[in-house]
Amino acid sequence: MTSLKLGIAALTLEITAWSAATLNTGSDVRLFAYLSSHLLASVLLALALSALLPTGSLRQRGTMVLLITVFSYAVPVAGFLCMVIGTLMLRTYRKAPDAPEFKSAELPNFDQHQKHHPGFRQTGLRSFLTNSAAPMNTRMGAMVALQYVSGRISAPLLRDLLSDQDEDIRLLAYGMLDNQEKRINRAIDDELKALAKSNTGENGDAPDTETQTRIHRLSDLYWELVYQELAQGDLRDYALHQSLHYCKWGLRLVPDNAALTLRHGRLLHCLGRSNDASAEYLRALELGLTATRVIPYQAELCFEQRDYAGVRRLMQTLGNGAKPPRLQPIADYWSLAR
Amino acid sequence: MNTPIATEADIALLLEGTFPYVSGGVSSWVNQIIRAYPDYRFAIVFLGSRREDYSVRKYELPANVVHFEEHFLYDDLNKPGEPSPRPGNLEAFALSSSMHEHFGQDASINEAMRAFRGLVQDMLPGGKLTLEDFLHSEAAWEIICDRYRRYCTDPSFVDYFWTVRIMHQPLWTLAGVAKTLIPVKSLHAVSTGYAGFLGALLHQSRGIPLILSEHGIYTKERKIDLFKSEWIRDNRNVFQRDPTELSYFRRMWIGFFEWLGRFCYDSANPIIALYETNRLRQVTDGAAAERTFNIPNGISIARFKPLREQRPKLPPPVLCLIGRVVPIKDIKTFIRAMRRVANQMPEAEGWIAGPEDEDQAYAQECHDLVRSLGLEKHVLFLGFQKIDDLMPKIGLTILSSISEALPLVILEGYAAGVPTISTDVGSCRQLIEGLDDEDKALGASGAVVNIADPQALADASLRLLGDPEVWQAASQAGIARVERYYTDELMFGRYRQVYENALQQGKGSN
Repeated sequence: MTSLKLGIAALTLEITAWSAATLNTGSDVRLFAYLSSHLLASVLLALALSALLPTGSLRQRGTMVLLITVFSYAVPVAGFLCMVIGTLMLRTYRKAPDAPEFKSAELPNFDQHQKHHPGFRQTGLRSFLTNSAAPMNTRMGAMVALQYVSGRISAPLLRDLLSDQDEDIRLLAYGMLDNQEKRINRAIDDELKALAKSNTGENGDAPDTETQTRIHRLSDLYWELVYQELAQGDLRDYALHQSLHYCKWGLRLVPDNAALTLRHGRLLHCLGRSNDASAEYLRALELGLTATRVIPYQAELCFEQRDYAGVRRLMQTLGNGAKPPRLQPIADYWSLAR
Repeated sequence: MNTPIATEADIALLLEGTFPYVSGGVSSWVNQIIRAYPDYRFAIVFLGSRREDYSVRKYELPANVVHFEEHFLYDDLNKPGEPSPRPGNLEAFALSSSMHEHFGQDASINEAMRAFRGLVQDMLPGGKLTLEDFLHSEAAWEIICDRYRRYCTDPSFVDYFWTVRIMHQPLWTLAGVAKTLIPVKSLHAVSTGYAGFLGALLHQSRGIPLILSEHGIYTKERKIDLFKSEWIRDNRNVFQRDPTELSYFRRMWIGFFEWLGRFCYDSANPIIALYETNRLRQVTDGAAAERTFNIPNGISIARFKPLREQRPKLPPPVLCLIGRVVPIKDIKTFIRAMRRVANQMPEAEGWIAGPEDEDQAYAQECHDLVRSLGLEKHVLFLGFQKIDDLMPKIGLTILSSISEALPLVILEGYAAGVPTISTDVGSCRQLIEGLDDEDKALGASGAVVNIADPQALADASLRLLGDPEVWQAASQAGIARVERYYTDELMFGRYRQVYENALQQGKGSN
């Protein structure tokens, strides 16, 4: 019905357009009146006819409306007639679309409850991994589970497994360690390349914030190699010195950075420079780091120097405040120790 | 490139991703074997992944290679042409379904293998199980859906569907190759995998004897790649994931190659390993123990002997890793070891002599590692080098690989008087410390260290390079060992016997 109404409106407007040509006014006004009425008639005709066309996508339909409008507008009268006749013929004689050659298939449902599940263990990873008499599949399962464990915990375990009797276990351990290491080394390399291109303040002007972040991040990444025990021996020393280099650089730019000061202390501590490390720990506390983050390292330093009274005193200063769960038993032990 | 075509040959060598397109231990061995028997006419069937991965041949084909053909398994996965609906041969698909059911049960290995043998016959051109049916038939769809419903622990059906397709499609390409290969009297596969599958298919369809010589263990090496590969997806969310379970698609790929290997072992006789540990591994993976034995690699002593005279009196402080720059060689551990070597012996250099084009991303990682460890002056990438030019200039050959078989480069070093530091993989311990008491009495011709232990690799190298007397003793032990146990004459004699037996059996086949 809408189509019919639109069609009548289009016809009326087209007649109006031709009537406008006979108006007794200036030629420009007549031409304008004709063209505008003709355009409007063409659009209405296209809309009327599009409703009679076979259904298609919105985009196809839009293109068709545009095509009919342009044709009707460009070829007055004949264009109108051709479009109407063409549409009616298409509607009358068009072959029905073939049935699809392939049946449409239903996707299968995913129901995890139907699947057999191997025994799931949340604990005992280490004992399975290091027990070469345990069934191979259980050990492999334990290895796979290690990928969800933090690098700090998994790396030493994986390193032990590099000398396992079973070659599959050795190779899987190698692959997992290599992936951990690769991720950090790739990040280091990206940062080094970016740093080489950025303004590092060699011209006397201060490096921008982005460069400062990169310097900080490089110290973090080299430290990560040490922290996750991915670097051993000379490589560990190398990573420590690189981390120290970027840490010092970062501190020269932002001397009051408490986290970087603590890192500085940790690096000096690892390099065996106890007095310097102690001074940095104190400074980190002065800069506002919480006691629970710094005191355990100070206590560790005292312990290494066999100053057990110092350890007790420091751990007691932690008092009854909130502590990380893993620190609590250590604090309890040293608070009670005499 | 010379591509000979013949109407028949004596022995068909079935090679996957190796000679003549890739340089390295296995390719060099194949070249050695073909040239050792000028009286046999060889046909080579080369199998690769994609044409673009194998553009330049690294070896000239010897004159006795009378026929050469190459097939790329992943080049025409999207064949042009409209698919048409089809029901699929219900009998063939029922057999396939039953075979897959048996695959999962250790007790049903024999039934699975019986079904496998029947099914591959149906896959040959003109058989009941066509590629078109696998790709477009209703029966194939039903099996895929059914197995997804019952076994798949990954929620993505789309990934499952395409994994099944991509995994199996090359098998029909191989069935086509098996149908059209020229008549030969014997087959010799140098690995299991796709080449081994082709060999088994030819054996099943033509009754020709199949010899299998494995350098590494193909299934194991595939497993390493699959464990490490990042392209296999795991779509399980945190609630669906069992942390002890490998992703389903990874397990599917591993199982697929395990069964290709099993099928090859089922058809091959003899099954040859390079050393005892690998032979035992073959038996564990399904090879019949009575068909297996070892033939170690051997090299030409005459070629390397003159190089001993060119050596300086003191060992040059040069550690040389000769091999392709690929992950399995673990070049990065060697580079890391060089950090310590350079700290302790600043004049030392580490050379990496091998092509870098096989895995360019890995080669780039190695270059980046050299830079990030500040070793630009100590580690040199030389690319492919003539081994005869290198040997007199180096103090040690280094092998930091995570997996090896019986590396020729160690033997070549020994023949030229260069000791080795190697990781404890494959037969390296046997090559360095000796196999039996008599062999051990020759002394250590280097040192063995754990895999991925740069500190130990560096310390062992420093010990040998830092003490000329120890180095000389290791050099002499290496020379004595290679001359007694690892000459090419020994190897050629044993392979002559293997070929004679196979050709005798192959008479009247085809």
